[in-house]
Amino acid sequence: MGKSNRKILVYKDMPTITTNEQIDIILTPQFYSFLKEELGIKFAYQAKQIAPSFFDDYLDSTKEYHFFVYKCEEYWCFFAYNIVEIISFLEDKGLKEHQINKIFFAQELVEYMEQAISLGNSTALKSIDGIVTILPKRVLENEHNYQELDLNSISLNNGISISSSYSSLIPLKQTITITTLLVILGGIFIVEGTQTKNSIQSDKDKLEVLLDKNPKLSSNRIRKSILQQYEPIDKKERLKRDTIDNIAKLLSSQSRLKKLTLDDKKIIAIIETNSDKISNQVITNAHNSKLIVKKQSAKEIRVEGVL
Amino acid sequence: MNLMVIKRFRNELIILVATLFALFAFFYKLSAKNFIEEQKSQIVSSISEISRVNELKKVWKSKSISKKADTFKTIVGRNKLKSFKKYSGKVMVSYKNLNFKELNRVIKNMMNNPFRVVKLKISELSKGSYSMELICKW
Repeated sequence: MGKSNRKILVYKDMPTITTNEQIDIILTPQFYSFLKEELGIKFAYQAKQIAPSFFDDYLDSTKEYHFFVYKCEEYWCFFAYNIVEIISFLEDKGLKEHQINKIFFAQELVEYMEQAISLGNSTALKSIDGIVTILPKRVLENEHNYQELDLNSISLNNGISISSSYSSLIPLKQTITITTLLVILGGIFIVEGTQTKNSIQSDKDKLEVLLDKNPKLSSNRIRKSILQQYEPIDKKERLKRDTIDNIAKLLSSQSRLKKLTLDDKKIIAIIETNSDKISNQVITNAHNSKLIVKKQSAKEIRVEGVL
Repeated sequence: MNLMVIKRFRNELIILVATLFALFAFFYKLSAKNFIEEQKSQIVSSISEISRVNELKKVWKSKSISKKADTFKTIVGRNKLKSFKKYSGKVMVSYKNLNFKELNRVIKNMMNNPFRVVKLKISELSKGSYSMELICKW
């Protein structure tokens, strides 16, 4: 069991409080409206949903009220209270908002209120027909024996934390929903991030196998150096072969090779044709193969490929 | 006092912590994605480099190429081989009176094997008869 806070009754002409401790307050009926109803509902949240409709005719419509409900034997006990007014009143009495731990309602003390308790000079608190009521003392004039009730020895169960009724901008239910969504979202992000990290494992394995087979190629510099050595050779030799291939395609039964020379810079072929028409065909085909063409005579063509 | 403030704004604090957690997770995912993309690109580049190096070495550093250079000696009749000289890493061949078929055969042999063609000179001597000079390296 945790340490319980000091409890005080809150009533209009209460004395000023001087303390820095946290305090549980018990509101007297001066600060709330109370209704007791017998309803066929099971859960408190259902009762809370319909609570405002019960108070429609009793509350000042210009003020904002909060509602609280708990089960009292076979009845539902409904409370309507204006938290702004309560906080403002308590601050006037020297109690800071952050010092208020829980708010209880005097109705919960009903079983201890058969005998009145005194609230200051002019009022008293007493249970009348099962409802804790504020009475002027003059009504109880013949009852001189006000009881001394030790509030701190009484355990109260139906309290409201001030955060749930006033300070928190976001209600608990929404807090739970938003937090759950955010945690799920965060979880999804973490799972996705971890899966992403695992996604390159197969590539890593492939690289490891390759490096095991070619340990000399583990250095990036060595690889680059070998590539620099062989890539130009590969490129140039392929170009030589492609060019020779393209020149060979220009030859037919009506066009034959007269001469072909290849050196480091170019390939030159002289092709002789049977007619001017075939020459033009060879020129077109050579152009299509991106070769440099020069007609040397009506039947002789010079084809050049630059390496 | 601080405890009071925490208690008062408990709901907002819970949402703030959950938001921070979601944000942290989001940035973790982003950084993991960036890190992996960078790693993947490095790995893929390394794999492609190694494969390319192996491929190039296999072609242009083939040990059997020297033997293949000998085929230039026997690919046409002995009477058409004017000269054949083979040094380490180099072959110099010269042919005479090649017909079109034989010329094609020699050129195919040159093109289908990984020789580095240094010089090629084909001249028509008479219709359908060619001379050829070829220098290849490896």
